Amino acid sequence: MPTTSEHILRSYDEELARLKGELARMGQLAVAQIEASMDVLERRDSRAAERVILNDEAVDQIEATVSHDVLLLLARRQPMARDLREVMAALRIASDIERVGDYAANVAKRSIALNQTAPIPPAANLPGLAEAAVELLRDVLQAYRDGDAELARQVWERDVELDALYTSLFRELLTYMMEDPRNITPSTHVLFMAKNIERIGDHATNIAENVWFLVNGTPLAEPRKKGDTTSTTTVLPESGTRP
Amino acid sequence: MTDADLQSAGHGRDAAAASKLRVRGLDFFYGATQTLRNIDMDVPERQVTAIIGPSGCGKSTLLRVFNRIYAIYPKQEARGEVLMDGENILDARYPLNRLRSKVGMVFQKPVPFPMSIYENIAYGIRHHERLAKAKMDARVEQALRQAVLWDEVKDKLKQSALSLSGGQQQRLCIARAVALKPDVLLLDEPTSALDPIATGRIEQLVEELKCDFTIVIVTHNMQQAARVSDQTAFMYMGELIEFGDTEKIFTKPDRKQTEDYITGRFG
Repeated sequence: MPTTSEHILRSYDEELARLKGELARMGQLAVAQIEASMDVLERRDSRAAERVILNDEAVDQIEATVSHDVLLLLARRQPMARDLREVMAALRIASDIERVGDYAANVAKRSIALNQTAPIPPAANLPGLAEAAVELLRDVLQAYRDGDAELARQVWERDVELDALYTSLFRELLTYMMEDPRNITPSTHVLFMAKNIERIGDHATNIAENVWFLVNGTPLAEPRKKGDTTSTTTVLPESGTRP
Repeated sequence: MTDADLQSAGHGRDAAAASKLRVRGLDFFYGATQTLRNIDMDVPERQVTAIIGPSGCGKSTLLRVFNRIYAIYPKQEARGEVLMDGENILDARYPLNRLRSKVGMVFQKPVPFPMSIYENIAYGIRHHERLAKAKMDARVEQALRQAVLWDEVKDKLKQSALSLSGGQQQRLCIARAVALKPDVLLLDEPTSALDPIATGRIEQLVEELKCDFTIVIVTHNMQQAARVSDQTAFMYMGELIEFGDTEKIFTKPDRKQTEDYITGRFG
């Protein structure tokens, strides 16, 4: 049930709009951080990677602002119904975006370590993985901005594709490590980077669940498909991959 | 309307709790003006039911129908049925005296009688029962204890009730109402004249009293309705717009009018 009319108190509307604006800004920054982490990886630019790591502070600061504004809003307005869900969603989504920022910074940090060794071919798959994660994140942020529960649900379902990409890269890396023990150090870094990116998708699905709840007032209850099967995957030198 | 129809319409509440009051097709008129329109609702026993809505929506009128207090004014008329334990209390043959002993009421402004604290309680009991001094003392103490006022007044029962603070006076009025051992307690904005601490005490009291009484509270304070009630009814222009579990009404109401009102969007 959409509530389009405005509050009797205009400042209440302004506070809610401000919260939405802060989250939009935070989301854009997080997306930019993921893209920057891929850029520094591809260019093997350790100094630029340092800047990406430092920039994470800006995402953290917006999260602190959101928390502060939510606290004031709860104290001043005692929101009810949709307003209450709006405020609760903002707080939770801010926390998810903050984690996304941390993952982007971690990818940048590992790219510096990766620059200490010769380039390894599996690393070339990371930008594709990051692109898929960014697409999920962008879409779910749009769903939040527009109050589009259906788009949120689609993002929630599409995460399985990112999981599948990650699982495939995981297998490739295991094989690559077995081929030559000298590959183990850079491959481990790439593996952690891939895992960080895969986790970004999980946070996008968390955001999707919050958008769904915000709009419908009920949880997105069905069990979600999981495409990340790496926790049960083993690769043996003789027989190849065994799920 | 059958009970099954009411259940499906969301007016029949909580299958687990029996209904103390069943309102059916209730209309109310102030002279030629109709102020309640076709109200159907079930007030569950030993729960707190809140009635909210903007000024003039009919919420206080509905509350006043439950003990027929309107009957003291000429040209006011209720049509339809309000069944308490199966009997229609609107029926002229239902004795007012019996109704008033079964349905107690507390008003917005505390109105202690200008007499001692003790007499404020005993006066009403004497109207209905003849008790020996020791038994009356016990009843007064029980009522004051139920209203969580005993410890504050036990050493000054002979003092004038007017010497009490506003919050204490309101709890005295609640004690006066519960002293008659009613089944239903009607609270008409019982805390709107009280400070937050006195309000908190009344809300705590409501929570305790619902173990023994069916409580209906009219309040302008939405947070109060959300805090103290189990069921909430939202009224607008004499109609019952939505009635349901308080948890649902304040987090995800079904009707847009309810949502607009509780989120402060009412024009």
